[in-house]
Amino acid sequence: MALKLYVDRMSQPSRAILLLCKVSGIEFEEVKIQITKSEHKSSEFAEINPMKQVPAIVHGDFKLFESHAILIYLASAFPGVADHWYPADVRKRAKVHSVLDWHHSNLRRGSAGYVLNSTIILAFGQPINPKLAAETEKILSASLAAIESFWLQDDAPFLLGNSQPSIADLALACEVMQIEVVDEKDRERILGPHKRILKWIEDLKNATEPHFDELHSIMLPVREKLKELKVQAATKL
Amino acid sequence: MRLKVYADRMSQPSRAVVLFCKSNGIDIEEVKIDLSKRQHLTPEFREINPMKQVPAIVDGRFKLFESHAIMIYLASVFPGVADHWYPADVFKRAKIHSVLDWHHSNLRHGAHTYVLNSTLGPALGQSLNPNAAAEAEKVLLASLAKIESVWLKGNGRFLLGSSQPSIADLSLVCEIMQLEVVDKKDHDRILGPHKRVLKWIDDTKNATAPHFDEVHSILLKVKEKLKKKHPDEAKNNIQSSRKTSLHSKM
Repeated sequence: MALKLYVDRMSQPSRAILLLCKVSGIEFEEVKIQITKSEHKSSEFAEINPMKQVPAIVHGDFKLFESHAILIYLASAFPGVADHWYPADVRKRAKVHSVLDWHHSNLRRGSAGYVLNSTIILAFGQPINPKLAAETEKILSASLAAIESFWLQDDAPFLLGNSQPSIADLALACEVMQIEVVDEKDRERILGPHKRILKWIEDLKNATEPHFDELHSIMLPVREKLKELKVQAATKL
Repeated sequence: MRLKVYADRMSQPSRAVVLFCKSNGIDIEEVKIDLSKRQHLTPEFREINPMKQVPAIVDGRFKLFESHAIMIYLASVFPGVADHWYPADVFKRAKIHSVLDWHHSNLRHGAHTYVLNSTLGPALGQSLNPNAAAEAEKVLLASLAKIESVWLKGNGRFLLGSSQPSIADLSLVCEIMQLEVVDKKDHDRILGPHKRVLKWIDDTKNATAPHFDEVHSILLKVKEKLKKKHPDEAKNNIQSSRKTSLHSKM
């Protein structure tokens, strides 16, 4: 049964599912849906996902969207996926669910909101929104603090005190990586103090090499392009 | 040892968990954490849930928070829970996960923010914010439209074309029920056009009777209390937010 992944590598949840597939050796066809070209708004893509968002998958006849649901489905449907990604143990699994749930309104909202309103919005031809950027930065910083004080433990490399990564690590780390596209000064200010988080991302990178780096190789060129757009926008004023 | 459920029935996800337990005959000790009295901020409750939110459960020595994670856990460990609540079938289960995920940033975000900023804020130490309420109402309306066009598509009485309710129905319906505390005019404006949603709420109520009404009885009490406290303030706030929206259209 063919597996198609409808993704944009600039989308954090898209990267998370690509990473699980690559690390687990799941064969798939990557169908690129470019958000900056509004490809997610096409009527063809609406057939795949009526919510018009990436990622989405089609596995044979089965369509699915929402990255956490997709990560869980892939871990359950493909026998080659190691248990630590989505443990069969009901209590370990429950903890993975709880961090994935927490993620939506916390790290995801803060990080995606901040990166969009401070930087990426320029790629959509709109000006940066300092007020929204400041509001979402608060949520982002609070979320990073919560990850360090609660979700990560000092004596284990991954979330929930685990010695091996789960799909929760993929989802949250890909989100944190989005901060790579903002100005270095801001990135340093926001992420710099969080040494435990930086170590966690390093551990995850090592556990999923070379795929983590390959998927995130897009960040640097995008950052440079957005810098240019920022300069252009400032010159126009 | 009985399962402990830390809940405030004024919290939509708390109601979903309590309703799930009652509908499945799961024996619980319900520990009330009164948000309006800041009981979620005590050091004792922080031991239960360091995120200081309800609902949370303690099952023996196992602690868990986040209502969706809780309902999935309970459906998995309690043998009496019928399959339709959280099907074993990996495809059906995946679809339930997708609506539960969608919920956070859509219906939950819209409804919760709208009710807080139009009505309930002061009970939780927050002032009303008509602008924020107007913004949230847009998200809420868009979410109700998506529920009708996507999640309730098909011939089933419940979400995802199902003939029986799942934990997703409980989660989303309990969220919409929070609108019962807002001004009747606003309630009817927002929900009135959504006949399919209203029917689905009714079907969910019937499928979980008599617990649904019992779990939601607190909303009626709060509604009466609010009417007595701020009969005009709430109305003025909503009216001035309407004026603001009209201006921005020009």
